[in-house]
This record gives sequence, structure tokens and C-alpha cells, in this order.
Amino acid sequence: MSELAALQRDFGAGIASLDKAAEVAPIFRGPPQAALERLAVYRGNVVGACTKALAGTYPIVAKIVGEAFFEGLAREYLRRFPSTSGDLNEFGAQLSQFVARFEHTQDLPYLPDVARMEWLAHRAYYAADEPGPGLCLAPACALLTSPWPLARIWEVHQDDYEGEFSVDLEAGPERILIYRPRFRVLVGAISTGAYRFLERCGAGAPVTAALDAALVAEPEFDLGAALAAWIEAGVIVESGEAI
Amino acid sequence: MDPVGVGLRAAHYEDFLARKRDVGWLEVHSENYFGAGGYDLHVLNRLRADYPISAHGVGLALGSAAPEAGGHVAKLKRLVDAIEPTFVSEHLCWGRGFGRHFNDLLPLPYTEEALALMSARVSQLQEALGRRILVENVSSYLEYRASDIAEGEFIAELSRRSGCGVLLDVNNLYVNQLNNGSDALEAMGAIAPGSVAEIHLAGHLVAPHCVVDTHGERVAEPVWALYRAALERFGTVPTLIEWDTDIPPLEVLLGEARHARALQAEACCV
Repeated sequence: MSELAALQRDFGAGIASLDKAAEVAPIFRGPPQAALERLAVYRGNVVGACTKALAGTYPIVAKIVGEAFFEGLAREYLRRFPSTSGDLNEFGAQLSQFVARFEHTQDLPYLPDVARMEWLAHRAYYAADEPGPGLCLAPACALLTSPWPLARIWEVHQDDYEGEFSVDLEAGPERILIYRPRFRVLVGAISTGAYRFLERCGAGAPVTAALDAALVAEPEFDLGAALAAWIEAGVIVESGEAI
Repeated sequence: MDPVGVGLRAAHYEDFLARKRDVGWLEVHSENYFGAGGYDLHVLNRLRADYPISAHGVGLALGSAAPEAGGHVAKLKRLVDAIEPTFVSEHLCWGRGFGRHFNDLLPLPYTEEALALMSARVSQLQEALGRRILVENVSSYLEYRASDIAEGEFIAELSRRSGCGVLLDVNNLYVNQLNNGSDALEAMGAIAPGSVAEIHLAGHLVAPHCVVDTHGERVAEPVWALYRAALERFGTVPTLIEWDTDIPPLEVLLGEARHARALQAEACCV
């Protein structure tokens, strides 16, 4: 290993782990105690930037568990799934998987699905405005099924929500659509037929095949009414324009 | 071009969209616009009609010993091709390796090995983007024992070898002077006047164990004094007011920009 690589390995180890800091402090000038204190400044910066990014991507998870708990959760997540990209918007993809196993969130069984929804919403926020050729579902759309009432959980945690803060966790399984009419990401519960139709559309199936799938799942599915609403909301698009 | 710009942050999007503001240009953090679409890119596309844009990268970690990860340069190229910024810049730092990215601007040892690696990486990036880039000196809370080249000389030599411009962060030089006992004026003296293409000004925080480059305060008086010295040596160089944490109302940034402009006017008429 080159001298440069060895110095970066040691510096990195001293940032990542408090235990390693004393061992690597001598690569820096000045008294070891001062180097330890300054390594701690770097450690704080790294953890702080990743925590801020994670809280930005997962505002509802952060609200559900509370700010102080979320900081601890973020620290542990970062230890298990360190950032691997220079673009912090890519950090946090495994949070759903992480909270599903994290011992301190086991009393919140819906949290992994909330995290899954927020990751899809985060991706929808940065998705292309225009669809590719032959696609009828807008790029900024995603579908998710869950045993938990995700659309309601999303709704009551929005900053501009003014209604009663209550969620019926026993409401039963749900299918949701994540979409972005212009620039703000929205979440809505949809019927089985609607879900099947959009899922097939997203996979590139012709409209007739998508409708067949929808009608098998939900014989009373009304494509005309659904299409009107989806075109209005920018869910169904063609070559950048509503069909 | 009015030589004083400010950093564009999401908190000020509405202010800039509402009407043309008294500022010469805007600088964005490139990574915040890496998405294929969405609101941030929409705002940037609107504002580039009214202001020259500078794309300032924070994630390439050019001086990392680890081999380059390809995707980041491709995304930067997509943005640069779409936005056609006046300046494209990155940092003199490392931050990647051993299976992770630290997402921080970590200082390099000032050695011949680091200089050779940085020069090669900057040259490759310039080739990939098809244009000259600017490289910024970073703040540093630690100094390597291995360093045997002075910071100013390292920057000057990087510019000479790769042909890159220098983005001189005057606040970072001052923070390093307080933290490591280096000499900010001496560093500036080592850098050739024609190579400095942009200057950064920002606030810092005097913390118990060191001075931290927070970009969360007004520019400190000693940094304004160094800026005067920089204007004397480098001439009227495009200058940016940066503010990244505890972002105040836009008016505060515009006030700082006015002060920078007044110092430029003073310097050019002495």
C-alpha cells in the first residue's frame, strides 16, 4: 500500500471508530490529545451530515420515533450501512431493511413499510419529468402494498395537515400509489383493480392487457373514471404529455 | 458580469423566483441537481436564464487513493452539459475508500505522491468534462506529519501541472492559520495571480478545540482583511458568499455581497 493510501486508511479508521482514534493520532502533528479532539470534530461532521440527509429522506420515520431516538438510529444505521456515494441523496436505501431488524424498533411493526414508502417518495421527487418512449406510467410514480394504512400515516404526518391526528392501524391491507403531479410528491390509497392496471402499465403492457388484469382483480373497476383522474394528476402520460 | 455571487440554497428558491435580485451570479452544489428531474432542477433551469451559474461539486473526493468510482463523473457531466455553467469546481481533498464515502472534505497530506495523484485526477476530470475546472483549498483541523510541501505551493503546483484554475477560499486559509499555525498571507503569496479564478468567503465558528468551517455565520473581520489582501494580489476576481447552516433571510447574504462589492471597488481605485 502506498504512503498516501495508508494515511487515508488510518485517518478514515480514526473517524469511523473511537477505539482506533488513539492508535492513529500520531500520524498528525501536535499533541495526541489535540489530534483526538479534532478527529472527534470530523467524526461529528460525518455523522451529522449523514443524519441530516437521512432525516431529509425519512421525515415521517423521524417524526414517528422522535428526534433524539432518530439520531441514535441514524448513527447505528451509518455503522451498519455506511454511505458509499458522494451524493448524499443516495444514502439511506436500506433503512427499511434496517428498522425491520433493529431491536429498538420492534414495537413499531409498520415502520419498515413507512420507510419503504418514503424511499420511493424520495426517488419520485428526483425522477425525470418526462417519460421514456412507450411508457404510460409517469417516471415519478411508484406502487406499494402493505398490511398497514400507509396513505393515512403519510397524510397525518404532512406539515400542512390540520385534521385529527389518528391512524387506525387495524384498517387492513392497503395498496398505495406514490405520484408527483408537478413537483410535490403525493401518496394515495388505490383499489385492487387500479393497482393491477398501473402495475401492468408500468411494466410496459398494452392498455388492453392492463385492463384485463385489473378486471380479473376487481370486476367493477371503472377505467374511464380512473383514467380521467390519473391523466389530471400526471400519473398516466405519453411522451411528456397527457394522452 | 457583476463579480459578486451567492450560494443558491433551497431556502431562497422562492426569493429568487419572485424577482431578479441584486447579485451577479449563483453557485449551486452540483450533487443537489443530479436527479433526472424534479423541482430543484426546474428552479435551476429557470434561474440560469437570469444569472450565470457556477456548479460546485462536493462529492468527487478527487484526492482519494481508492480507484475512481465512475457514476459520479457521468452525473456531473450530464448536469454540466444541461446547465452550461460559467464555472465548474471541486475540492482539494479526499473522502472515499475502504468501502465507504465519508461525505466530508478531508484534507490531504501535502506530499509529492498526493500532488501527482491530484494532478492526474484533475486532468482526467477536465478531459471527461471537456473544460477547465477550478479546485478549492479546504479547511483543515489536522495536519499530517508526512506533509513536506507548504499549502500555497501545493495549490500553485497543482494548477501548474493540471492547468486547473484556483478557487481560493479565504476563510479556509484563515481557519487553517488558527488551527494549524500556517500563514494565510504566505499561502496566497505562493499562488500565481493569474491562476485564481474565483474566491469564496464564508463564516466560521470558534469552538473549544478548534475553529470549525461551519458556513453558518457572517464573514469574520479578519477574513475581510485577508480578502482585501487577496484583491490586491489577484485583482477583482469573481467572489462568492457561502452560507450552508442556519441559513438566514436572503437579505443577510445580499448585505454580505454588497460589502464584498464595496471592498472590490476600494481595491480597484487605490
